Amino acid sequence: MMTGAINKVCVIGAGTMGAGIAAQVANAGVPVLLLDIVPKDGSDRDAIAKGAVARMLKTDPAPFMSKSAAKLVETGNIEDHLGKVAECDWVIEAIVERLDLKQSLYEKLEAVKRPGTAVSSNTSTIPLGHLIEGRSDLFRRDFLITHFFNPPRYMRLLEIVTGPETDRELAARVEDFADRAMGKHVVHAKDTPGFIANRIGTYWLAVAVNAAMDQGLTIEEADQIGGKPMGVPKTGIFGLIDLVGVDLMPLLTKSLTATLPQGDPYFETVRPMPLVETMIAEGYTGRKGKGGFYRLNKAGGKRAKESLDLATGDYRPERKPEPLPSRLEKDLGALIAAPGKTGSYAWTILGNVLSYAAKLVGEAADDIVAIDDAMKLGYNWRYGPFELIDRLGPGKLAERLKAEGRPVPPLLEAAGDKPFYRVEGGKRQYLTVDGSYADVPHAEGVLLLEDIKRASQPLAKNGSAALWDAGDGVVVLEFTGKMNALDGDVVALIQQAIPLVKASYKALVVYNEGSNFSAGANLGLALFAVNIAAWGEIEKLIAGGQQAYKALKYAPFPVVAAPAGLALGGGCEILLHADAIQAHAESYIGLVECGVGLVPGWGGNGEMLDRWAKSGLLPKGPMPAVAKVFETVSTATVSKSAAEAKELMFLRRSDGITMNRHRLLADAKARALSLVEGYAPPEPPSFRLPGASGRTGLDLAARDFHKKGLATDYDLVVSDRLAEVITGGEADLVDTVTEDQLLKLERKAFVAAIKDPRTIARVETMLETGKPLRN
Amino acid sequence: MQVYEAPLRDMRFVLHELFADDGYGGLKAFEEFTPDLLDAVLEEAAKVAKDILLPLNASGDLEGCTYENGIVRTPKGFKEAYDQFREGGWTALASDPKWGGQGLPETVNKLVEEMICAANVSFSLYPGLTHGATTAIEGHATEDLKQAYLPKMVSGVWSGTMCLTEPHCGTDLGLLRTKAEPQADGSYKLTGSKIFISAGDHDLTENVIHLALARLPDAPKGVKGISLFLVPKYLPKEDGSAGARNGVSVAGIEHKMGLKGSATCQINFDDATGWLVGEPNKGLAAMFTMMNTERVSVGVQGLGINEIAYQSAVAYAKERLQGRSLSGPKRPDLPADPIIVHPDVRRMLMTMRVYAEGCRALGMWAARALDAEKHSEDPEVRARATDFIALVTPVVKALFTDFGTDAANLAVQVYGGHGYIREHGVEQFVRDARIAQIYEGTNGVQALDLVGRKLPAHMGRNLRPFFHAVSGLCEEMAGVEDKALKAFTGGLQQAFGALQLSTGMIAQKGLADPEEAGAAATDYLRLMGLVGMGYCFLRAARIAHARLAEGAGEDEGFYKAKIATAGFFFDRILPQATAAFLAIKSGKRSLMALEAEAF
Repeated sequence: MMTGAINKVCVIGAGTMGAGIAAQVANAGVPVLLLDIVPKDGSDRDAIAKGAVARMLKTDPAPFMSKSAAKLVETGNIEDHLGKVAECDWVIEAIVERLDLKQSLYEKLEAVKRPGTAVSSNTSTIPLGHLIEGRSDLFRRDFLITHFFNPPRYMRLLEIVTGPETDRELAARVEDFADRAMGKHVVHAKDTPGFIANRIGTYWLAVAVNAAMDQGLTIEEADQIGGKPMGVPKTGIFGLIDLVGVDLMPLLTKSLTATLPQGDPYFETVRPMPLVETMIAEGYTGRKGKGGFYRLNKAGGKRAKESLDLATGDYRPERKPEPLPSRLEKDLGALIAAPGKTGSYAWTILGNVLSYAAKLVGEAADDIVAIDDAMKLGYNWRYGPFELIDRLGPGKLAERLKAEGRPVPPLLEAAGDKPFYRVEGGKRQYLTVDGSYADVPHAEGVLLLEDIKRASQPLAKNGSAALWDAGDGVVVLEFTGKMNALDGDVVALIQQAIPLVKASYKALVVYNEGSNFSAGANLGLALFAVNIAAWGEIEKLIAGGQQAYKALKYAPFPVVAAPAGLALGGGCEILLHADAIQAHAESYIGLVECGVGLVPGWGGNGEMLDRWAKSGLLPKGPMPAVAKVFETVSTATVSKSAAEAKELMFLRRSDGITMNRHRLLADAKARALSLVEGYAPPEPPSFRLPGASGRTGLDLAARDFHKKGLATDYDLVVSDRLAEVITGGEADLVDTVTEDQLLKLERKAFVAAIKDPRTIARVETMLETGKPLRN
Repeated sequence: MQVYEAPLRDMRFVLHELFADDGYGGLKAFEEFTPDLLDAVLEEAAKVAKDILLPLNASGDLEGCTYENGIVRTPKGFKEAYDQFREGGWTALASDPKWGGQGLPETVNKLVEEMICAANVSFSLYPGLTHGATTAIEGHATEDLKQAYLPKMVSGVWSGTMCLTEPHCGTDLGLLRTKAEPQADGSYKLTGSKIFISAGDHDLTENVIHLALARLPDAPKGVKGISLFLVPKYLPKEDGSAGARNGVSVAGIEHKMGLKGSATCQINFDDATGWLVGEPNKGLAAMFTMMNTERVSVGVQGLGINEIAYQSAVAYAKERLQGRSLSGPKRPDLPADPIIVHPDVRRMLMTMRVYAEGCRALGMWAARALDAEKHSEDPEVRARATDFIALVTPVVKALFTDFGTDAANLAVQVYGGHGYIREHGVEQFVRDARIAQIYEGTNGVQALDLVGRKLPAHMGRNLRPFFHAVSGLCEEMAGVEDKALKAFTGGLQQAFGALQLSTGMIAQKGLADPEEAGAAATDYLRLMGLVGMGYCFLRAARIAHARLAEGAGEDEGFYKAKIATAGFFFDRILPQATAAFLAIKSGKRSLMALEAEAF
């Protein structure tokens, strides 16, 4: 394994990017040295790096996945500690974008680093050739560009640029570490200005902003047309500029105009923007400043949403445009053909940006896949430029460009009517520059359910779940409902899966490739049942879920659950019933039922009690585990990472964490297969619970919260229902409570809770607004 | 023989007793209206109905409205009756005191409406539409328009209409063509033709205020491009009185099956001056404020006719002598027994009675919600009331009017051949009742509204007040010992189960295939209506049972009859729920099996 080759990393430059990169290295469990300059004043010579770590511990969303990760960051300064670089296998430079400073740093580095220690720059604009000017051949062999995106923990894209002299094996080692340990998706870019994502992204923003001004669109209209229909995140264009910082615009412009080759279409678009300059001068730098194109005007104690009028430069109340007809939202061809400014604005963006992307194949990237990946992972576009062209029709795009007398990029011309992507023999293929198709490549060891689904039929499926053969005797249970919500169909398919796996397979992995593993039971369905007073059906659903999860737990084969994103409520409880969990690092796990006035109803209470009781981390006696579960569940605590989920005991110490989202299924499958030999289902737990006296104790704790204003009146009622379950109801210390008795208590508490109008109001508010109701 | 006495005892029962604990009561706004006062209003209204309106019912039908030289005249006596009615303050009963109304609860207002509709449904349309129009103006018009129009309309000096239908468009308002051109002074000029305009023109009031739907020049196509305008027949003068004639003319009146005392007009707008009510292109929403009140009122028309048909049939069945009782002569002193002795005649009379009492109770439940929605100080109660009204409005409209026609037909049947001839005035009920199933949205459209909009909205939130009330009552009654109440409870539980199952099926199937929801719609509405009536009858029987147990005195007869009537409902009417359920369950398959060509 090459991963082992990088055991310590040094990051130089403790700004937002450098510090964030260091945090992600630490998140991977690898020690990292974070250095910055010695401050001009003050006594602590390490203050800048230390300050960066302290700031990160308070930042939300958090750069660190756990507190213990933060402890892996060693801070220092480049004057006193550069010698420690000799301990490191990779040095990442992330200082200011000034060639002279970078070059002088490399000179110093060359003196202290071991040969074979990789050095990479996080530059976003400076060509590699310039960076290594004046360096030795040995240094040049060890040098490459690794361009991370902000924030480094959450943005999955890493652009890697190597030079002709870069050592292939060293580059592969860095790439492998970035991929497996840091969880990044590596895209190979050529040594051209802005690399891939920023080059297209900056061009896209310039085109979109200018066109909005020229064509007289409000920013709301522009964001409506240039946002959702094109698969751009809901911030839209102007919202995105606010998010990344309005002041970044002129910086990017400056560096790109200085370095782009003559004749690049960017020069036709870019122009001075007095409006943006005024905004920056007045402190309207975006969300980090007083606001940007959008702002929240808090004058007079109100929170009024306001938007910048592009013509006058003044703020005015936000004006939501009439929604676009759904056809225009779905069909790009119809969108660009729409009458009036809708069509013309959409065409200006797509016509320009998609041609530009097509022009850059060969120049900035080797193939279309790299460009699509870069835009999807670096700018969160739902579709890459070439996927957008496919949605539009390559032939139609070329035709319209021709009709308008504009140049058609050779790649687009060559494509003719052929799509840029196709599925052949169950495999996704892309159009290469020579006009043939090649399989879309994956890094070695990556296994994706989407590929399995493309190449095979489900073993079984219904409206909310499906079973797939993932090879080697492993079956995948996939949730397929809207938002991966859990309902009676999921329960039914679990029951169907058990005999199927038992008869012909070895193990089951619960996994899916939605943006969230599952946010829990289908609350909408539950609310409908509540609204029609179908209490019997609700009881049946709860009992059915309990039985299905129990059947998974005691199935005669190993079950591994592999969450990524949210795993809440019933989505968390299914994890708790698995033999092992292989979680993506970005897993947000929690039993959140109390937040909507319910209590966990699918066995979550017992599983959590059992986990804590067996953890060996708590003092003896029945109360400590109960108190822990109460603390986590009554406050609806959700882990902010898989690492934190371990602290909260949603994950056991033995459960695994995968950093790279694309490697999760392979890891989970391997984990499942490792459990097959000699597998025996777990012994049912029996609980020693404190009963009424314990319940009083928990009540006191809850009342204390209430007194401090941290819990509402109804929170007390809800937490008391929870307390009754986890203390074992009428249990007595001398009795043992069985799993089934606990499940019965859980059902009773759940049904009482869901009939309560205050719970109904909470559920309803959550569904209607997406926000919790604090009644 | 048209016989009508307002059923005051039952009205007092539904008003004061039946829903005392439904959570909608105790409204501060109505504190001054003591039960005695409300009862007095009902008694007065009963007199107006019997003494002023009922005598004009048959004569108005015979004479009808007339149209001559652009002028519309109501039947003889209508103008005088209307003046008395207006002077008595009856037009302003439930209107806001701010505009000169008396601010009485909607509960009482709906009972008074029932009396007016029973005694003379043609007459009821004139004040009825005015009330609807004032609601829309109050809800959406500018303050200036309100000041200029509402006092006169509330006092009944001016009347109102709603102008939706055009020759080529009825249910599908998206096809509407009437145009409205904006003018420099902020007014609009309307041009277009409307048909089927109830109370569109007449000689009862000094001015007629039309609320008309029309399109602005740049309006989007379809229902999203419709705006609402206020267009008076006479433009108000400076002093507020009716002035110059506006460009509104009557092209003729419709010749109808019934409702002949009501002037149904074809109206032409020819550069008629009007003013926008509410937002541009949001006219349908504004109009629906009016439509929704109107729909409940149309339901009450069905109930009113149901009641007069019932009373007229009972009177005849008691005096018409034919045949002998199957269990031996009941009146050996007479040549034959009165036909009321016959089980099948009883079936008809009881059916009419049960429909009337059941609808009255259900209507009261809805009216209480109307009051609570407007006046409750608790926002949660208001929200619950709004949801409930949204749900039951189509049920009240369609169920009450279907039953109204059924009852009118049964009355004819009880009269036999004498019902079929005009002399007894019973066939008029059939002709008068029939329209209520059609206008203000056909009953088919009501059913679609229920399954397509009201049921799925907000994850079924509209269903909650109704379903939880029924479920709660079943739970309360679970341990009841009285044999009759126990049987009633079992019946309600069964029908409610069918309703819950149907609701789930429609929500599920209708989501995937809207035609499935459409196929279930009418049966589902009926099923919900039956469960609602069952809920009311079970509550009523429980109260009656308790009153009898504590000694009801002179009311003994009333409460005993209530239990007997409830018994008939549970034995003979509620089983229709099972049939509706089976029909719903069968889905659209057999409904849509034939190709259109095969018809």
